[in-house]
Amino acid sequence: MNHLYRRRKGFPALTALLFMLLLQVFSQANVQAEKKTFVARNQTPVHKTDADLQPDLLIGERLFYGLASFEAGKLNCEGCHSTISSEAMNWNPSAYDLAVWIQTKKDENLRKAFEAPSSEKMETSHKNLQINEEEAKKLRTYLNWVHSKGLAAHKPFPIRLIIFFTFGLLMALALIDLIKTRFLKYRIIHVLVLITGLAVHVQMAVVEGQELSRTQHYAPDQPIKFSHLVHAGENKIDCQYCHSGAMHGKSAGLPSVALCMNCHNIVRNGRHSGKFEINKILAAYQEKRPVEWVRIHNLPEHAYFNHAQHVAVGKVACQTCHGPVESMEIMRQHADLSMGWCINCHRQTNIAFDQNAYYHKNKKLLELVKSGKVKQPTAETTGGLDCMRCHY
Amino acid sequence: MKKYWKSLEERKQEPGKARAGQEHEVLAKQEIIDFLEKGGDQIRPGRRDFLKFCGFGVATAAVVSSCKNPVNKAIPYLVKPEDVNPGESEYYATSFFDGRDLGNLVVKVRDGRPVKIEGNDKCPVMQGGTTARLQASLYSLYDQATRLKAARINGKDCSMDDLDRDITARLEQAAAQGKKTALLTATIISPGILAAIESLKTRHPGLYHITYDALSFSGIRLAHKVAFGQDGIPSCHFDKAKVIVGVNCDFLGNWLSPVEYSRQYATARRMSGNKPEMALHYQVESCLSLTGSNADVRIPLKPSEEGGFLKALYNYLLTEYGNPADHSHRINPAEIGEALLRHRGQSLVVSGSNSPEIQILVAGINHLLGNYGSTLTFGDQLLTGRGDDAAVGKLLRDIESGDTTGLILYQVNPVYDHFEGERFLTALKKLNFSLSSSPYSNETTAGCSHLCPDDHYLEAWGDHHPKENLYSLAQPLIPRLFNTRSFLESLLKWSGDTSDAQAFIRSHWEKHCYPRQERFQSFESFWVNSLQEGVFTLPAAEPTFSLSEETMARAGSNIPADGKGYEVALYESIGLGDGRQTNNPWLLELPDPVSKVCWDNYAALSPATAKALNVTQGDLLKIGDKLVLPVLLQPGQAASTVGIALGFGRTEAGKAGSGVGKNAWPLVSLTGDCFSYSLDNVMLAKEAGTHVFAQTQMHHSMEGRPIIRETTLDAYSKDPAAGNEMHEKIEKHHVTLYPEQEFPVHHWGMAIDFNACTGCSSCVVGCQAENNIPVIGKEEVGKKRLMHWIRVDRYYSGDEENPEVLFQPLMCQHCDHAPCENVCPVAATTHSNEGLNQMAYNRCIGTKYCINNCPYKVRRFNWFRYNDNPEFAFGTENALGKMLLNPDVTVRERGVVEKCSLCVQRIQEGKLKAKKEGRLLKDGEITPACAQACPSKAIVFGDLNDPESEVSKLFRNPRNYYLLEELHTLPSVGYLTKVSHRAGNTEDQHSH
Repeated sequence: MNHLYRRRKGFPALTALLFMLLLQVFSQANVQAEKKTFVARNQTPVHKTDADLQPDLLIGERLFYGLASFEAGKLNCEGCHSTISSEAMNWNPSAYDLAVWIQTKKDENLRKAFEAPSSEKMETSHKNLQINEEEAKKLRTYLNWVHSKGLAAHKPFPIRLIIFFTFGLLMALALIDLIKTRFLKYRIIHVLVLITGLAVHVQMAVVEGQELSRTQHYAPDQPIKFSHLVHAGENKIDCQYCHSGAMHGKSAGLPSVALCMNCHNIVRNGRHSGKFEINKILAAYQEKRPVEWVRIHNLPEHAYFNHAQHVAVGKVACQTCHGPVESMEIMRQHADLSMGWCINCHRQTNIAFDQNAYYHKNKKLLELVKSGKVKQPTAETTGGLDCMRCHY
Repeated sequence: MKKYWKSLEERKQEPGKARAGQEHEVLAKQEIIDFLEKGGDQIRPGRRDFLKFCGFGVATAAVVSSCKNPVNKAIPYLVKPEDVNPGESEYYATSFFDGRDLGNLVVKVRDGRPVKIEGNDKCPVMQGGTTARLQASLYSLYDQATRLKAARINGKDCSMDDLDRDITARLEQAAAQGKKTALLTATIISPGILAAIESLKTRHPGLYHITYDALSFSGIRLAHKVAFGQDGIPSCHFDKAKVIVGVNCDFLGNWLSPVEYSRQYATARRMSGNKPEMALHYQVESCLSLTGSNADVRIPLKPSEEGGFLKALYNYLLTEYGNPADHSHRINPAEIGEALLRHRGQSLVVSGSNSPEIQILVAGINHLLGNYGSTLTFGDQLLTGRGDDAAVGKLLRDIESGDTTGLILYQVNPVYDHFEGERFLTALKKLNFSLSSSPYSNETTAGCSHLCPDDHYLEAWGDHHPKENLYSLAQPLIPRLFNTRSFLESLLKWSGDTSDAQAFIRSHWEKHCYPRQERFQSFESFWVNSLQEGVFTLPAAEPTFSLSEETMARAGSNIPADGKGYEVALYESIGLGDGRQTNNPWLLELPDPVSKVCWDNYAALSPATAKALNVTQGDLLKIGDKLVLPVLLQPGQAASTVGIALGFGRTEAGKAGSGVGKNAWPLVSLTGDCFSYSLDNVMLAKEAGTHVFAQTQMHHSMEGRPIIRETTLDAYSKDPAAGNEMHEKIEKHHVTLYPEQEFPVHHWGMAIDFNACTGCSSCVVGCQAENNIPVIGKEEVGKKRLMHWIRVDRYYSGDEENPEVLFQPLMCQHCDHAPCENVCPVAATTHSNEGLNQMAYNRCIGTKYCINNCPYKVRRFNWFRYNDNPEFAFGTENALGKMLLNPDVTVRERGVVEKCSLCVQRIQEGKLKAKKEGRLLKDGEITPACAQACPSKAIVFGDLNDPESEVSKLFRNPRNYYLLEELHTLPSVGYLTKVSHRAGNTEDQHSH
């Protein structure tokens, strides 16, 4: 490409300018539209080999998807009991949930579930539904298979990947045309294509690189469909009723199953999910087996964070970092938890100087404030930007 | 100017020639030169390299794009215990006694696992102090490789029930056959265990109990029995003494109760208030001990001369009563005698000898001086050291004759530490059964038919009665990690008692301790309080007794004449003691405070003796007919004596400790009824071969600068700034072009009092445990890569054969004008607005410029990811060992620089506590690990912004100075000039 630069002297500067501009425009336009999902499970439709081994499996799958008729008529289980982990809250038990449930039950229970629904919610959704013994067996075979495979991950449309490869292809074509075929007469077109392509690629590399270990918008499937919207939003339960550690120490903590039971001893029937989800808590409590939640907020190990400092001392609202939790059906990571984000807040946030004797009785600090050297002490004034506040 | 030197090698080093241990440096340099010279032309990137890089780039992109964030689980409690909060530490009191060392401790427990040992402030005896060995005792809890994990019969794992059935059957069988079973233990100070032994004896009448302490104090006990009819070891009160005379007695390091004595000694030596007064300390000894290093006057003497010297001293004291003077001994006792006579009732003479005759003399001297009742008391006598030295010999005869057919061992390892260890091992084979309750595999367990592993002390209930008026409790701080059972519970089981250890101890305390107090109205509140505080104390009542002249005369006539030829003096090292914790890499890597050697024992010879023998450092020396040890030139070692540390040379200690050094226990002999730890007329011969030591002292030199400043008491009483005149001069010259840095809230500082610091190195291990400092092994230490964040520098001055010694604990000085901060190219080390010199490990790229620019040489480079590396398998490489790590401190990766942070995690914790409670931070609320571990409280930490804080007061003390203050680094660590009675100290301090 050297000869290009030789012809026009002002070109490098212009290129750089254009490059920067493109970068800027592209990063603005490319607001995080996609949610990152980190579901480890994967599911594909039933393989032919699996089906050969178990003839019931294929029929079971077809029954589940409503492709084959039950004796009582056609019905689509999958319509409610999804086989894909979805982005929005689906209150109905997923196919995987059913599969887990059925592991401990007999075929009879499957049929009984239809005949005598355990909750109102279930009764309304399974009205007039009946299956016979043979069908129950086939469905079980399919659900067993789902249990072994897990749910399919929700895959967002790979728009960025397509853009990446499109530009890659365009640049390759431009290069070939520039050197060999010389089909296009105006070389400015090649140059423009190359510059734009490069800009897009660099932008993507930078953005993806930065986000390698960051998990903003992370909203994994949880073992129990717990809705903060229902608990913190509609029922107005205080955040610290469950996350009581936030006032005292480093970790805000998750509530113990016993704490859930304080309410769910009485509240046994959910408005959205019926008994299915709440029963999971009961089972955990009775079987003395703690619930394995998926951790959403993961700080890097070399960063020290203490909830009490922020909640008890700094009086920072939970929502400042965790976002509008009370309106989230599925809990997700609100902030990117990057160091820049921390530092920025430390620069802007005033400390509770007047309220806390630790600050206003400190002679040195008081002197600084009185003398006007420090107008309004922020976290930065008291060392909030020091490395060893978070890294030691 | 007074000349300080730190090693003999340095003095004699030929210019241009590499010192011992420096060869590898030269080699490494040569490799780099070779590479640059030969390879220089070839490093030109070619087409293939280009393709390689392209390929690498694509591969990286592929790997990076396919990498997924891991899915982490968060598993809350099923039912949360009320007082346990995840991520928060709890502190519980407990106590420790392993048959040798005594400790009242507070243990930091984080998420259900003990992570740090600290001293218990509530204990009136220890007052929050610890030794290096107590600090390190946590390590063995997580020692995956060495801990025994289940009961075993004849090499096969079995359940505890199977073992119980087998043992009970064998005990009954022995009784039926009229045979005896021996219970061989170290001194037991647990009232609970003693009671359980009694009930076991009742159940199995053929059982008898014998006590064996490898490092014995039976001499003192017997002496007091003979002299006063008091079978016990009196408590010493060094704090009440104005004159202290130690004869071969390392009371600051290993003798009886060193934590207690270090604190008392510091009190006696500290310059407090306006009255310039301090105890005068004479030390007469063979090896240059920690205590000797602190003495005002130190007189070297051969071990065999000890009796003669004390006899002469006793006779000198008697001249006061009209007896004729005795000038028969080489060392004239006049000076010491005079000093003692001036301070009757306020002096203390102690001897480390285990000979009852010598101890009778010592008791006579103290009695003559009226020290009993003031500096020596029986009302709070020590209950440790109850061993019967002749017992093992008798046991061996009983086993060999077939009288005794069963043996139960507790806290003893006679195969290793008895001089007839081999005979013992053979005898074990003759027994019907031999059961060891050791929690770790050792030399003796290797020969035992039955193993019934004891719990680690942090897993079990226990109680101790270390002093007549002091009881303490031990509580479990973690559930059992393996299928073990506490010895107390085993005893109870075998005696048919079904109660568990906790219930047993509780009921024992209810019967024996509760009625002796009036503070609590119910046993429950008494019990809870005792558990919380860890200790229960009673007022001490002093008995009265007298001494007959006749006893003294008999003892005097039994004193043997001075020995001839070369003599061997055996001693316990500060790190390993008698060898119980020899598998502890923290202790193995702890440099000996005086010789600065780690990972080895050696034959210490004075330079003159070495010359006479024609050997030099690193040469091998054959001692007697068996032992071969490398020679270490130790200034201050008495002429014609060899000092050898016990506790080394274990064969079955474990991965870290086996094969380190040589075992000197076989040199111990039985004289009368007591062990003797010295021998005379020893043949010494040079052997072929050399040995390389891992000595940490070669890193550090005073280079003629006034690093430690000292003065005499006389000069100090005239001018408190004596010896520290230059401080004021330098303070006047502080000029800077830069704006002064503000410390708007706190300005942390630390002051170290040389008059209180004894050099014991407890701080080093305390810091190591707190800050996840890796152990790196002998080879790496030899390459000068020691990772300790705090070290204790030792400097010699004066006569090569009897030098004066100075200690200086040195950590990052947290300079306000830090030279390291200016040179970091990536700003990984910066200054905080609380005056801390911060180190951000994740920013550090390992250029080591900071290390080069630090005038104090306190920064460490992590070469090999030591903490998680099978090549450096010192515990933390396995999953269990990782539980040792402090979760509040980052485990550093390789390739980064690390150093003292003034325990910033503790500062943050303390500040947060004050903020949460909405109050000012109290002075003394935050204690860094080193200050916490210090038994003599020589390290004071606090806020310099608060003029009333202890550290601010010390900084205003005219004795205070900063290290290399002429460089204008403005350190936040201050040192207080050492004031002593040492003659001629001021010889020329002024010329600095």
